[in-house]
Amino acid sequence: MVLHHLRRWHASLKKLLAALFKTRGDLKIGLYGPVNSGKTTLANAICMDFTGEKLGKVSQVPHETREIQSKEHVEMKVNGKQLTFNLVDTPGIATKIDFEDFLKYGMTKKAAKQRAKEATKGVIESIKWLDRMDLVLVVMDSAEDPVDQVNVTILGNLEARNIPVIIVANKLDVKNSNAHRIRQAFPQYPTIGISAKTGYNMEELYKTVLKTVK
Amino acid sequence: MNLKIKFLPYEKLKEEGIEEVMKEVERNTIVMIDGKLSATDEAELIEKTMKKISDKFSGIELSSLELPASAADHPLARIKDSFIELVIGKKRGLTVIGPSRLIKRIKKNPKELFLEMSG
Repeated sequence: MVLHHLRRWHASLKKLLAALFKTRGDLKIGLYGPVNSGKTTLANAICMDFTGEKLGKVSQVPHETREIQSKEHVEMKVNGKQLTFNLVDTPGIATKIDFEDFLKYGMTKKAAKQRAKEATKGVIESIKWLDRMDLVLVVMDSAEDPVDQVNVTILGNLEARNIPVIIVANKLDVKNSNAHRIRQAFPQYPTIGISAKTGYNMEELYKTVLKTVK
Repeated sequence: MNLKIKFLPYEKLKEEGIEEVMKEVERNTIVMIDGKLSATDEAELIEKTMKKISDKFSGIELSSLELPASAADHPLARIKDSFIELVIGKKRGLTVIGPSRLIKRIKKNPKELFLEMSG
């Protein structure tokens, strides 16, 4: 418990010092979430809207993003308000990675094992980068059960570090998607339902980001 | 495969550390802890799991349930819970950790955990 309090205090002190010595341009907005929740699709949508370039490759095969990737100096402008930040797309967090799952996508055994190895490193990196974030968009698949341990662990760790959170209920274009189920599961956080793939409700997300940061 | 379940007091987890839990899980044992792990413990568990993933071990299924004291509990019991949480960080609840090749999924509702086994 003492250690837990020390960690919280340490995280708060680090954030305070960082806030004192950095400019608005160093602001980091992270995309976190389970595997295949659409983090990179969202990162691409944001980057296309404000920089005209995509950030990363997306795929149906799990763990496509296995390294932290970021776009610096993203200038978000909505309704006369502006925010400049670095957008950080992180590998999906998981509690299990089985190379045999990749074989279903036609990979060779060697390629599947390599992907699994890289994916494990990606998960560790994602967790380590949590401390560097100023705001985190936790991206969830609206068609999946939101009371997933990965979601709970991510939100709990952000809360322990006093990092502001916006939940993004993604994939509203998918059949059986339900943003309300996510709001019910985590009523303490602002939740915005979107489809990063079609661009549905992205402006509402941008307004919420601006409101949360300013 | 024989199903092995270990019931671990939260206090023992704090003494031995998460590494010991990982060793049990790697030996195909399901570990049940009489308390809710903190979010930082869960993150540490995930990090350690990732470092151990191999052809033979594909990871874990994990679920924690918090069962906070209710108004129906005796006031002394509630004071005792608060004291224990303050001193050792133990939150009233339950945590289940098991190998993912043995547990297909753990479904959770606010007061129950439901384990679905593989095979």
